[in-house]
Amino acid sequence: MSESKWIPTVCYQCKAECAILARVEDGVVREVKGNPRARGKMCVKGMAGITTLYSQERLKHPMKRVGERGEGKFVRIGWDEAMNIMETKLRELRKRGEGHKFTYSMFPHSTSDPKWRFVNAMGGFITTGLPHCDSAKIMAHLHTFGCFPNHHIAPMYYTVPKGGVMILSGRHPFGCLDDACVPRDILDAKERGAKLVVIDPIFRTEAGKADWWIPIKPGGDAALFLGMCNHLLTKGLHDKAFCDKWVRPGDMDGLMAFIKDKTPAAISRICDVPARDIVKLAEMCAAAPSVCVDAFKSIMYGNAMDWGHAWSIFLVITGNLDNPGGQPMPEIAPMAPVAPVPPPPNLKELGYHRTGPNRSRFDHYTFFLQPTWYAAQAVREGTLKVFFASECNPALSEMGSGEWREAMTLKGRNGNYALELFVLTEIMPSETMKWADLVLPDQTNFERWELLYMPWWYNFGHTAAVCQPVVKPVGESRHANRVMIDLGKRMFPEYFAFKDDVEYYDIELSGIGMSMRKMLDGGAIWSPGTVGFRKYEDAGRFNTPSGRIELEWKMYGDIGQQWPSPELPLEFRRDADKYPFILVNFRTIFLNNTGAWSQNNAQLRDPVSGIDANPVLLNPVDAARLGIADGDMVTVASATGSVRLPAALTERIKPGCAGLIHGFGQTMGKVASRGAWAGDNELIADAGSHLDEQDLRGGEAHVSTRVKITK
Amino acid sequence: MKQLSIMVDLDRCIGCKTCIVACRNHHGLVNHETAMPEGMSHYLRVEGELTGTFPKLAEDHWVVMCQQCKKPPCIKACAAGAISKDAQTGIVRIDREKCTGAGTCIEKCPYGVIQFNAEGRFAHKCELCYDRVVHGQEPVCVEVCLADALRFGERELLLMQAEAAGKKLLKKRSAQSILYVKRAD
Repeated sequence: MSESKWIPTVCYQCKAECAILARVEDGVVREVKGNPRARGKMCVKGMAGITTLYSQERLKHPMKRVGERGEGKFVRIGWDEAMNIMETKLRELRKRGEGHKFTYSMFPHSTSDPKWRFVNAMGGFITTGLPHCDSAKIMAHLHTFGCFPNHHIAPMYYTVPKGGVMILSGRHPFGCLDDACVPRDILDAKERGAKLVVIDPIFRTEAGKADWWIPIKPGGDAALFLGMCNHLLTKGLHDKAFCDKWVRPGDMDGLMAFIKDKTPAAISRICDVPARDIVKLAEMCAAAPSVCVDAFKSIMYGNAMDWGHAWSIFLVITGNLDNPGGQPMPEIAPMAPVAPVPPPPNLKELGYHRTGPNRSRFDHYTFFLQPTWYAAQAVREGTLKVFFASECNPALSEMGSGEWREAMTLKGRNGNYALELFVLTEIMPSETMKWADLVLPDQTNFERWELLYMPWWYNFGHTAAVCQPVVKPVGESRHANRVMIDLGKRMFPEYFAFKDDVEYYDIELSGIGMSMRKMLDGGAIWSPGTVGFRKYEDAGRFNTPSGRIELEWKMYGDIGQQWPSPELPLEFRRDADKYPFILVNFRTIFLNNTGAWSQNNAQLRDPVSGIDANPVLLNPVDAARLGIADGDMVTVASATGSVRLPAALTERIKPGCAGLIHGFGQTMGKVASRGAWAGDNELIADAGSHLDEQDLRGGEAHVSTRVKITK
Repeated sequence: MKQLSIMVDLDRCIGCKTCIVACRNHHGLVNHETAMPEGMSHYLRVEGELTGTFPKLAEDHWVVMCQQCKKPPCIKACAAGAISKDAQTGIVRIDREKCTGAGTCIEKCPYGVIQFNAEGRFAHKCELCYDRVVHGQEPVCVEVCLADALRFGERELLLMQAEAAGKKLLKKRSAQSILYVKRAD
C-alpha cells in the first residue's frame, strides 16, 4: 500500500518563503499547497516548484570549468576536489592578508545564516540585493520612527477597516513577493469597504481591481506625497493630536517651512498627476480611518531616499503608525547566539567594496550592509579576488550586465583572471554558471533543512519557519549551507563546533524557548503572538534617539539633505531629448526575477500557466509617432547598452514609458533560453560607474534609465 | 437534475494561474522531468480582457474549464459512448476504458477544453475533481485559488450566494453550468 502524507515545510520559489504543505507519496512530492496553520496560500511559482525539483536539467554533481570563462564548458569532479579547491584558495587569500577580498553573494535566510557566518569567520563581505531593493525604505522608516520593515513586511491588509485606504505606489502585491495570502487579504479588505488606490505608470492586475488608478510619471512618488502633505498641512487636515504628542519638538515647524512651496500645482508638474487629483487623494486619506502605503519598484529609483522620507512623513502626519490598517511596526524577537560568534568585518575600517577611492564620502552611510555593490568595479579595483554566489544570478541581475561580463574575464599581466576564483552553487543551469570556475549542485527547498528567521518578523506574521527535507536529494546535490558549514569546520573549527545545520538551528531557537522538534510539531512555523497595535503608547516612546518621531533628518544637514527633494531621479531629468522614453522594468508573479530555478521551470515559462515572452511595451500613441506596428522588431537603446526586441503595443502603459519584464535573457538551460529575449540590465548602467547623494545616505538604487526606441 | 458547479468571481480573479498548476499537480498531468513549455495538458486556462483607452481602462480575468454543458456536444460526438453526464452531480465524465482516442469530442467541444493524451491515446478533461467532490472535498482549483475567486457547490445555491453578495450573473458566459459573476454596478 502506498503511503501519502502532507508535510509542513517552506517554499523557496521566491524570497517570500511562504509556509506550505507538501504531499509526499512513496518518497515523491506530488502536490503542494499553502499551510493553513500559517496564512494558507501558495502562488503559481510555488505550485510549480515540483517541476524544478524533478527537472532532468537539475545540476546533479560538482563541476569544474575547462576552457575560458564565458564558454560554459565543464567537467564533472567529486565533492572532495571541489572542497579542496575552495579551501586552498581561501587559505591563500587569508595568508596574503586579503580575507576581506572574499565576497559571498547570497540571500540570507536568517540574520545568522550559516553562509553568512562563514563569511564573517573568513573576514569577507556579504553582498545581497537588500541595499538596492530595501535600504531606502528601511533607512527612511528607521530614521523617522525607528521601525525596521522590509519588503516582506507589507501592510497587514487583513486589519484594514471599512473606509480604510490602501495605496500601492509602484508595488505589485498580486505578484506575490509578499506572503501569498496578500492578494486575498487586499480583495477581502476591498469587499468590506476599504478603498484600493494604485499609483503606477503601468495598468496591471492591481489597477484592474482598484477603485482608482493614478498613472504617475515614474519616479514621481516623492513629489506626489509631498504635494499631499502640503495640502493636508496647509488646510489643517493632518492628525494634529498625534503630531503634537509624538513628533519631536520643532520638527513640525521645520516641516511647515519646508513644505510651503510644495503645492499640488507645483508638484503636479513634476509627477504628472493633476493637482486636483493630488488634493482629492489627500482629502480621501484625511477622511479615512486608516491609510497604508506600500512601494517596491518605486523605491529602487535614484531618488529612493527622498521617496522613503516623503512616504514616512505622510504616514506620520496622517497618524498611520502601528494602527489597524496602517504601517506595521514589528517587534524584535532575538534568538540565541551560537557562541563563539565570528565578528563581522569592520566596514568603516576596511572600506566598502564600491567606495574605492571615495571611501570618505560614505561617512553618512548607515545601512547595516555595505552599499549596493558592483562586482565589475570591485574586480577592476582589485578589491574582489574570490567570489561565491548562491541563489542568485548576477550575470543577469547586476546592473550593467556587459560590464559584469567583462570584469569576469578581466586578466592581469600574468595572464590570470583578476577574479581568482568564482564559485557558484545552483539548482538549474544559469547564465552566471558560464563564468564560474566551480559549479556546485545545490538543493531545492524540498531537499534541505533551513531555519528562516528575521528578528523583526520573517514573513508577514511568523518570525521563524523551518524548511525541512521531504524527499531524498537529487543526485549528489548538497545544500549550500551544509557546504559552507563543512568548509567552516575545515578552516574555522572554533566557529563551527556544532554538529550540523540542524543542531545550529536548535541552539538558536533555544533563545526563544523553541527547538527544531517543537517547531515541526507546531506546523514548522513560530510567531511570538499577536502583532499588537500602537505599541509606542505602552512604551511611551518611539525607537529613535529622541524617543519621538524625527521628521527632520538632522544627520544629513551638512549635505543639505535633511528634507526630501520632490525632484524626479537625476537619471530621468537629463538626456530626455536623446533618450525620450523612461524604462519601466517590472516583475510578474510567474518568475522570481532572474532566478534560474524559475526561468528554467517549464510550467512557469509555459504560456498557459506562466509567461513566455518579454516584448517591449509601448503605448500606441508613441508607437504611431515612431511608425512602429505591433510585433515590429525594435532597438531599445540606453546610454550604456542596447537590445533588439519585438514591440507590443498596449493601452496599459503611460505614454513616454517603455515597459520590460525584469529577469529574462538567459542563454543556459533548455527552457530559459527559449526565445530571443533580453535582460533589462543590458540597458541599465553599471552603477559602480556613478555615485550620487542617495548612495551616500544608504538609499542607493539605480534602475532609473532612459531609452530611445528605433525600428 | 442536480448540477455541481464552480462560480468564478471576476471581481476577485487576478489571472495568476495558480489553479492551472495545482490542477496539473493533483491530476499528474505533467512529467516534471521532461516537461517543456507548450507541451503540457491543462484542464483550466485563464482568459482576460482589457477594455478602454489610456487612462480609462478596465480589465477582467476569468478561468475557463469544462463547462459541464447542459446538453454536452462531446457526448453526441463520441461514437464509442465513452462520455456521459453523471445523473447525481451533473459532471460530464469520460470513461477512459471506453475512449478510443478518436478525438471527435475535442473537435466538437465549443470551449476547447478537452485534452488529448497522445501516449495513452485518450481524451481527458476537468471533471470537477470528481474523486474529491464525491468525498465531500472541493475541487483543487477552488481550494488553492490565491484570491478566493472560485466557489464550489450546487449551481442553484451558488446563484443564491451571488445574489446575496450583490453579484450579477454574466449570462452569456454562464450559458452552461459554470457560473461567472461580477459586482452589479
